Amino acid sequence: MKLTRREFLRVSVVTAGSIIVVGCVSLPVTSAMEVRKARPAGPAKGVWTSTACQGCTQWCAIQIFVEDGRAVRVRGNPLSKTNHGYVCPRGHLIPQQTYDPDRIKVPMKRTNPLKGRGIDPKFVPISWDEALDTVADKMMALRRDHETHKLGYLRGRYSSTSNALLYGTLPKIFGTPQYFSHSALCAEAEKMGPGLTQGYFGYRDYDLANTMCLVAWGADPLASNRMVPNTINRFGEILARGTVIAVDPRLSTSAAKAHEWLPLKPGTDGALAGAIAHVLLVEGMWGKEFVGDFKDGKNLFVAGKLVDEAAFSEKETHGVVKWWNIELKDRTPAWAEKETLIPAEQIMRVARAMGKAAPKVAVWMGPGVAMNPRGTYAAMAVHALNGLLGSVDTEGGMLQGSGVPTAHFPKLDAYVDKIAKDGGHHGKKIDGRGEKNMPAMMGAKPGSGVVTNNVANGILKDPGAIKVLLATWNNFNFSATDPKRWDRALAKVPFFVHMVTNASEMTQFADVVLPATFNSSEGFSVITNMGNRHGYASIQQPVGKRLWDVKQEETEVMWLLAAKLKAKGFSNLFDYYSKEFKDPETGKTPTNEHEFAEIAAKISSAPMWMPKQALKGDKLEGWADFRKKGMYNSEAYPFKKNWGGKFKTVSHKFEFYSETAKKGLADHASKHKTTVDDILAVSGYVARGEQAFVPHYEPPKRHGSVAEYPFDFIDYKSRLNREGRSQNLPWYQEFKKVDAGDDSWGDVLKMNPADGAKLGLKTGDTIKISSVAGAIVTKLKLWEGVRPGTVAKCYGQGHWAYGRVAAGNYAKAEPRGGNNNDILVDDYDRLSGATARNGGFTGVKVQKA
Amino acid sequence: MPKLGMVIDLQRCVGCGVCALACKAENNTSNRANGQSHNWADFVLKTEGRFPNTVHLVMPVLCNHCSNAPCVENCPVTPKAMFKTPEGVTMHDQSLCIGCQACQASCPYSNLELDETSLSGETYSVISFNAKDRTTQPFWADTAEMIPGCTASAVETTKRAGAASPAMNQFAAGDVQAIRKPGVVEKCTLCYHRTSNGMQPACVEACPSKARIFGDQDDSNSAIAKVLRAQKSMRLQEDKGTRPNVHYVGKYSARA
Repeated sequence: MKLTRREFLRVSVVTAGSIIVVGCVSLPVTSAMEVRKARPAGPAKGVWTSTACQGCTQWCAIQIFVEDGRAVRVRGNPLSKTNHGYVCPRGHLIPQQTYDPDRIKVPMKRTNPLKGRGIDPKFVPISWDEALDTVADKMMALRRDHETHKLGYLRGRYSSTSNALLYGTLPKIFGTPQYFSHSALCAEAEKMGPGLTQGYFGYRDYDLANTMCLVAWGADPLASNRMVPNTINRFGEILARGTVIAVDPRLSTSAAKAHEWLPLKPGTDGALAGAIAHVLLVEGMWGKEFVGDFKDGKNLFVAGKLVDEAAFSEKETHGVVKWWNIELKDRTPAWAEKETLIPAEQIMRVARAMGKAAPKVAVWMGPGVAMNPRGTYAAMAVHALNGLLGSVDTEGGMLQGSGVPTAHFPKLDAYVDKIAKDGGHHGKKIDGRGEKNMPAMMGAKPGSGVVTNNVANGILKDPGAIKVLLATWNNFNFSATDPKRWDRALAKVPFFVHMVTNASEMTQFADVVLPATFNSSEGFSVITNMGNRHGYASIQQPVGKRLWDVKQEETEVMWLLAAKLKAKGFSNLFDYYSKEFKDPETGKTPTNEHEFAEIAAKISSAPMWMPKQALKGDKLEGWADFRKKGMYNSEAYPFKKNWGGKFKTVSHKFEFYSETAKKGLADHASKHKTTVDDILAVSGYVARGEQAFVPHYEPPKRHGSVAEYPFDFIDYKSRLNREGRSQNLPWYQEFKKVDAGDDSWGDVLKMNPADGAKLGLKTGDTIKISSVAGAIVTKLKLWEGVRPGTVAKCYGQGHWAYGRVAAGNYAKAEPRGGNNNDILVDDYDRLSGATARNGGFTGVKVQKA
Repeated sequence: MPKLGMVIDLQRCVGCGVCALACKAENNTSNRANGQSHNWADFVLKTEGRFPNTVHLVMPVLCNHCSNAPCVENCPVTPKAMFKTPEGVTMHDQSLCIGCQACQASCPYSNLELDETSLSGETYSVISFNAKDRTTQPFWADTAEMIPGCTASAVETTKRAGAASPAMNQFAAGDVQAIRKPGVVEKCTLCYHRTSNGMQPACVEACPSKARIFGDQDDSNSAIAKVLRAQKSMRLQEDKGTRPNVHYVGKYSARA
């Protein structure tokens, strides 16, 4: 049907000359260019109002164009030194998300006691008064029975400041240890790379304005991860002046533009990183100002040869020779070619390009490297290249994050009574952190990292552990791997309260649903983050009128719930909020939920607009000025900030031999009265002995035999995903094709045409993708952007709830496309507690459905 | 008189989609229906070569505001509904349009009806047609509530927001209304309501990679003229003799 009608018509135009035929109308054709003035027209009238995006984890400072109280268009805050006044495509979806016709408009309660996927909860509308009364009654029953520890809270997207009003306050004042963040579902493992090498367990910054070589590794920063607007803004210049290298098993949007694409076999990042490090050392291309040099100037790094540690004099680093001796000496490009399937010649070429640009190299490591069952070590291996190239904290290199001055909320200790204290210390967290096989050593402190996805297993193991569960802005029954476990777990929770904007998959298990504000356009808070050498804070404020009876979960709902608890005899939470929170300008305490939200925002941001001493960043003239401008930018990050022994590692140096990992692992082993090797074995790592303390290659762990499940499955994120919430927006569906290889209004599995030919499959076939965890059905697309033996599919589609566009059929719980999580196995990078979702850890088979 | 045009730098472009989204927001274009994309800005996408020497290419597309515009040439009404402004904009007067689609049929950059190949970016249209006798914002005319009494409907959302569509951008109409009527075609006006008032087109202003340059090609000091002098440029389907005023410089992929 392609073009035929038009082609016919075009032929008609040519052959019939003066007559064209459309439908049944015959019309004369004239030929002149008619030129005349257009009628006067004018732009829309409105006001740009400052707020914050939160469509990904960058939390951009933005502005929304408001016409007659309606949120219409979006741009970056022009004052932002991080996004330069631009938003990525996510930001432009905010008005559609605000006016999603499937927004929950009033609180609702379940009338069908049966819970399960596909079972209609039979929600009916109720008042806020009834809803909060019900919640407070359930909580008071726990308190009466001295079971406050059976209250659970699951945090999804949150505000970096008002987060403390719920996550930081409710569990303590009410008394439960069972509160969990969503964070380990999608990213935490990558923090282990910089954490165990330079003592920085956080997201890095990159000096893209000056870099000569950008290495996008397991990250597609033109599309997702972090700082997307800044990366989009700078990418063309970097391409023009330097080298861009993309390491990704699929042809990502960054790989599409890069000078070099290294489509390695999934999960072999550590091997590639090791070979690059090997070349840099053998060829003497390491960053000598940072790492140091051989005492007599002669390079003793020769493939296969041990080096005397005493021969090398290190500067800002610790253990480069140990790293060579333990891991790198045999990691030749030829060896790595066998593991990674990347030609040795390309590895050499890329290593040399990086070495030549050093130290102005930014090795941007992302979740693709780290979010797999042995991801901590892959993250270390890739991140360590920044250390070796001397790009740490240097111009054009990789930087630690920048911050802004914010204030903590008042102390709450006086409001924690005995019941709460007992409850707060009652039992262990049910996510299993700190257990022998789950070191979860974020910050190198065993048992300190959240293991979000394991909460479902915890509930299933001990269904009585949580009697009342609160959750905000999360959708684990969709966003967590093997989500059937969440279906089963939440069906066992006696009383579940979900605070969300849309009736998501998780919402189907709720007893009471509290409709949340869509915070980018309706919330009130202060959001902080950093990027492009600047920390920043952005106001988040209502930009137009609220259409529905919705309330902000961390501020308004907490206030109203506290009031309900007070009316039922427990006043500590309300007393804390109403007596301790004082307007920093007037000293006034809040009298209602809206005042509470604003005073909380003022308290947290006051150090920026009411500083005690002049700040080095933006100058603000008070609260009104902050609200109007919408943001505060810090001064630029100082280069070499942590040089001179200021890294927060055990040695205070950049550790190629991680004393920090060694200490953490030793602490964990000693807690469990065993050896580090035993810990590594039960946690699923292959390293033993000294190798556990250096960045090294661990071969990929794979669920499903190659014989039965021949394809490595590659999961990736859409540049239009607003954290799995945007699939109900027509514009998401319409422009899905901007994800390289994807189709609009569809959900395609990409397979190399050679594999398609072998299996007799073609583009457009309906196929079933199966793994040991489950199966999904979707469409196939043969595409040269994936290696034979691998298949790739974007995360995001496959909703069976959420709304009319996202779901195939909401009433029948039928999905549109398939949810990758349904086939991904529930596994972890146990050193960090992060969920595995990358690195080819799940094998799949593909059949015609 | 200026000669308005646009340059799209493909080296800077990252194919993110912002231009097309900003266009939809600015011009209130509706969702795809009946073989019409209603995307005044869109993309051509291509993946070429064999793994691992694969190249993926993105080319943003919009009305080329041709100097020799077939859509104007073939507009059968008098005066023409599709016409050129003195600045070179290919403009459309809805009040004169009879909905014959001759413009769409004659435009080398449009299709009367798009099929599924447009969903993967093989085909596109820069002129779309609003079906006769039905609303041009059908998404917002739906009264269905997913959870009766609990979730909103499109109609209720629209009513509460107080506009024809909740996020409607109410620009002051000239030849082209903020929301078009049924039975007429619609297309890019180079954001005439903005550019005639000293602003940039929405797609240019919103582009995070600064890949788009809009301006007067005849003003030798303009950014667009400078780029066209300095860099090799190309236009789409030059062989058709349409003399487009949208030019492309640079290459999308460093490996192409």
